[in-house]
Amino acid sequence: MQDQKSSLSIFSFKKSHRCFLKQMLVFFMPVVLGYLALEYLVLQLPFNYIVKSDYFYSEKEEIEVLALGSSQLDGAINPKFFDSNTLNLASATQHHNLDFKILKGISPRLPALKFVILELSYSHLEHPHNSKVFWKNSIYLKYFGINTFERNTYFKDKLLYLARPDFYSKQLVNHYFKKKDEAILNKFGFDERVSKGLFYNLNYNDSIIATKKMEIYTLADIKLFKHNAEYLFEMLNYAVENELKVIICITPLYKTYLKGRNPDILRRRDSILKLLSAKYENVLIFNKENDTLNYTTSDFSNQNHLNPNGAENFSKELNVFIQRKTQD
Amino acid sequence: MLFNSFDFGVFLILVYLLYWGIGTSRRTGQNVLLLVASYVFYGLWDWRFLFLILASSLIDFYAAKAITSSKTNSSKKIYLWVSILWNLGVLFVFKYYNFFLESFVSLFSLNVPEDGFMVWNIIIPIGLSFYTFQTMSYTIDVYKKETSASNNLIEFLCFVSFFPQLVAGPIERAKKLLPQFRREKKFNLEDSKNGLRQILWGLFKKMVIADNVAIVVNAIYASPEDFGSLTLLYATSLFFFQIYCDFSGYSDIAIGTAKLFGFKLSKNFNIPYLASSGRDFWRRWHITLTKWFMDYVYAPLVKGNKQNNYIKTVALFITMTLIGFWHGANWTFIAFGLVQAIIIAFESVPLSRSSKRTLGSYLNKAPKLISTFYIFLLITISSVFFRANSVESAFTILKQIFSFVPSEGFSLVIGWKVIVIPILIFTEVMTRKKAFPMLNLEKHLSRPIRWILYYSIILLLIRYAGPKEQFIYFQF
Repeated sequence: MQDQKSSLSIFSFKKSHRCFLKQMLVFFMPVVLGYLALEYLVLQLPFNYIVKSDYFYSEKEEIEVLALGSSQLDGAINPKFFDSNTLNLASATQHHNLDFKILKGISPRLPALKFVILELSYSHLEHPHNSKVFWKNSIYLKYFGINTFERNTYFKDKLLYLARPDFYSKQLVNHYFKKKDEAILNKFGFDERVSKGLFYNLNYNDSIIATKKMEIYTLADIKLFKHNAEYLFEMLNYAVENELKVIICITPLYKTYLKGRNPDILRRRDSILKLLSAKYENVLIFNKENDTLNYTTSDFSNQNHLNPNGAENFSKELNVFIQRKTQD
Repeated sequence: MLFNSFDFGVFLILVYLLYWGIGTSRRTGQNVLLLVASYVFYGLWDWRFLFLILASSLIDFYAAKAITSSKTNSSKKIYLWVSILWNLGVLFVFKYYNFFLESFVSLFSLNVPEDGFMVWNIIIPIGLSFYTFQTMSYTIDVYKKETSASNNLIEFLCFVSFFPQLVAGPIERAKKLLPQFRREKKFNLEDSKNGLRQILWGLFKKMVIADNVAIVVNAIYASPEDFGSLTLLYATSLFFFQIYCDFSGYSDIAIGTAKLFGFKLSKNFNIPYLASSGRDFWRRWHITLTKWFMDYVYAPLVKGNKQNNYIKTVALFITMTLIGFWHGANWTFIAFGLVQAIIIAFESVPLSRSSKRTLGSYLNKAPKLISTFYIFLLITISSVFFRANSVESAFTILKQIFSFVPSEGFSLVIGWKVIVIPILIFTEVMTRKKAFPMLNLEKHLSRPIRWILYYSIILLLIRYAGPKEQFIYFQF
């Protein structure tokens, strides 16, 4: 009777098989539970994305300026110093392709958006774009509802720890065990902590800084440059179609970095800047790269990143620039 | 869908439960499920290429049937050539056309615009070289009467597209794999456990070793001119381990996955860094590919001339060059194959006129450490051609290595995660008599110890996995 029953059933697992499946279930249960615990702990970390997300959802009707770009702009634009509501979604290693996906995903939800800030730092066009499996895709999906995966997403895509275990493991250890000094985030998600960075550790002492070997990007890649430049034009065309003004922002660099740049990379980038000014009416250039007068050692976190003091200067100048262009 | 992705894990669990849930008595049902799963697995990359795999399968299925039913030898040959030309044609069109065109243009210095109308802007279907070779060998074997033509289309479609080995092998022969689709499957607890262990071991090799080693290799190879000889040699030897762990890791996952469904696939690697000669290396590296070329290229070339050293050498050079070329449409792979042929041929040359002894025979008798070091060094250096983007770039790197440029700051590029390589070598050498180190672990370790080991590996996979790199051999 039992055999007849099992042969007629849609699913027919034998006893040894059922035993194996049970063992597997018992074995993998701790793995799943352990993972869920990690994910929960990661969600409790004080990340700037959470603050930025809160700001975005509470002010989205009023946001007029959207900043995109990499860590250079993330650390240089403090929305606190802007007269217009500003959302800074620039983030470390974020390139134009991710910027564009964010822009396309978020701009329809920002009815008051007028300005988009993009980055064109010295070597930006000769860095490869972010890969399709870039770990920050999960963050944008989870906290801003923007799909940057270029495919249909499902629950796994919102799991943060799985997207970048090494990074989040370090963050978990720092937060829960080492209790390292953590970001001081303002309501815009900007980290106002001055006590971080190489230059701070070296007491902003130029002579000591001069002895340190600095990482300066000099690897030229013309093929990549062409591809990235074309992509940038595509982004700008999108901005034109959507009546958005684009501000190409270039942050100041420390004097040693300025000297160490690859002249070919620099020449190519500058040629693009000239072309943009001539070709696009909606594109404005805000270039502070060579401003060694207003930005001194104490304004830098390292050779190519401003610290919150430098960011204050930069943001105030940029704000004046935007206000002037708004009145025009 | 990569083997080392969350998606594949979910896919595997679903297919596994459905497969065994259908019941072993419903063999056709199981095969249909495997076929659907395999096509879904492949179609998720690019569904358009499903038509290509289906066309290849149908042509070879009916060609084999026609060969069997043909009465004359000439008509058998015609059907065989239809199959061979189709398979080679597909390979040529999708993989080699642009290469031949560009080489032709460059050879005759023709002036063709960059976006010339002749260049075909097409992506290579994933796993193309693997499944075309598998299905081509089927019709050849039917022609040679080494296997009988299949009468069951579902079984044959499964044989061509079986998802564990579809995109990167092992390249199976019809006489081994096809009957497994005919046989009623019985659930085997040991096979299932060993399958899971082999998957775990493969994931460890791929995610913890290959992907972490890739970081160091990629960083150095991105601008080789900035590094000294020692650093480049170091990166090149790391590349050997990267590609070994990448591909053998894939093979382990494939074999382990197949075991879960009651299938046995061929072993593809046998600790290649322990080889004592060039010939021995190729008996241990990508075994199913080497065997394919030996059976279908080398053997026919030397047929009837086994004593003729000249013909054997020419056959060796043709075979090894084709093995190199199989990997990709680039002169670097051809150069890689040629270097392998030179190494093997050199080992076969008698050391003196009076003696029949060759370097190969000396190496076989030499202390293992010496012969292993010799071949490892040669293979490592030749892998520069495998890794470099062009032959010129490969020669530049080799020149840099042999000009003994001091390596400043060498310690900075080592990367501490590379420590896993000695662990891998130790583990594999200590368990070299097993198909893979974790086979039948219950015979040596108690359950708590085993589970601690498994959990430790899972922890390493989650915490220390390198950035997700696609399996290198997928591109071939």
